[in-house]
Amino acid sequence: MAIQFKSIKLSFLEFLPLFLLFFISLNGNSIIDFKIFSINLHYILVYYWVLRRPGSLGYGFIFLSGIIADVIFGLPLGVTPLSLLIVATVATYVRVVTVRISLINDWVSFLPALLLASFFYFLALYFSNFPIDYIHLIKNSFFTFIFYPILWAIFSLILNFMRSN
Amino acid sequence: METSRDDISIAIRSAFLRKETKQKFSLLALLIFSIILIASESIKYKPLDYLRSLVKDIIYRSSLVISFPTRSFKEIGNFTSEHINLYKSYEKLKIENDNLKKDIAQGSYLELENAQLRELVNDQVQSTQNLVSARIMIDKSSLYLNSFILNIGTNKGLKKGMAVLDRNNFIGRIVDVNFFSSRVLLITDLNSKIPVIIEPSGDHAILAGHGDGLPSLEYLAKDNKVENGNTIFTSGKEGLFSPGIPIGQVSLKADKKNVLLFSDINQISFVNINIGDLK
Repeated sequence: MAIQFKSIKLSFLEFLPLFLLFFISLNGNSIIDFKIFSINLHYILVYYWVLRRPGSLGYGFIFLSGIIADVIFGLPLGVTPLSLLIVATVATYVRVVTVRISLINDWVSFLPALLLASFFYFLALYFSNFPIDYIHLIKNSFFTFIFYPILWAIFSLILNFMRSN
Repeated sequence: METSRDDISIAIRSAFLRKETKQKFSLLALLIFSIILIASESIKYKPLDYLRSLVKDIIYRSSLVISFPTRSFKEIGNFTSEHINLYKSYEKLKIENDNLKKDIAQGSYLELENAQLRELVNDQVQSTQNLVSARIMIDKSSLYLNSFILNIGTNKGLKKGMAVLDRNNFIGRIVDVNFFSSRVLLITDLNSKIPVIIEPSGDHAILAGHGDGLPSLEYLAKDNKVENGNTIFTSGKEGLFSPGIPIGQVSLKADKKNVLLFSDINQISFVNINIGDLK
């Protein structure tokens, strides 16, 4: 019984990042938007898990969750998958070239990922003749970067828990 | 130097092309596919439109199921705050009721006068009120789009451009129709530009959304006589909606002419769509 419970707990933890990825896409929470700030949870989630445990988030799933987010938010199909895959690409590259794991390393390397993703997001919307709120886009990128350490800490806790089991 | 360049190229190749453990697709292939998808958005081809509609319908329904717990929490929150504000609302309604009683006599007279004047100018405007009700499935707004998803689509005769009403008040128009769902672009959205008429001055303007809850009047004539509290109606000038659908009231703030909507867009659960508008 105890072994069975442990295996259920383990598989739940294994699928937690994937579950979160689809939950925030389907629930429309990939961008948390308040009056003062807005954070892109999607970017942080994808960056962290592709960087730290790539087996947990397949590229295909990332693509699919991006498509879902596009449909929910009424964006042209392909815009969010493109920016999420850019984030995943930078994360994969950083994983290949870095050895030491630290918050500062991750945080600093998240900046180019965020800027590149936002740039491609902007380009995709621009070429789709979609009106762009530049202030929002800048605000969103800025606060996503600022909030990265908080989510990094939460995800690290989950990851440590996964490893200890 | 040569070695470091090699390292970078190996890392990039590895990042883009290598399918690692448990990865079924390469990043490069998915990136290219995303770009193709974006490019194909502008292609109007019936089978492609059907496929898009099908995908959107499936995602909307899935989202409806997944967002059930959060929606319930939101409803409980609204219910609680409504009860907390009950006394305040009662006081407000009492004052409003007194004012309305005073206005009734005036209103009947104006109605009569309006009927007589319409007859006089042989008014061709006919309101073909053919309303269909719909439930709001999803009301998630993005940074770029203030919209609702409705639970009906082409199955109930909906078409792009139709006016969407909350009771009798105009709140937006249909911008995307699928088989069993459709998207409403709200008047508060950045993309929304609606021709309106201001009563009693009779000035024409464009009601433009800004992404927040407060649209404003634009392209007003320089010598306009718009005042605080004036009522805004659709003018019907674009040829899509019936004229005379109430929208809101003017609220002057410094140089800006904002419009306070008659409907609280955050509290809407059901809407009416005027399918008689488009022939």
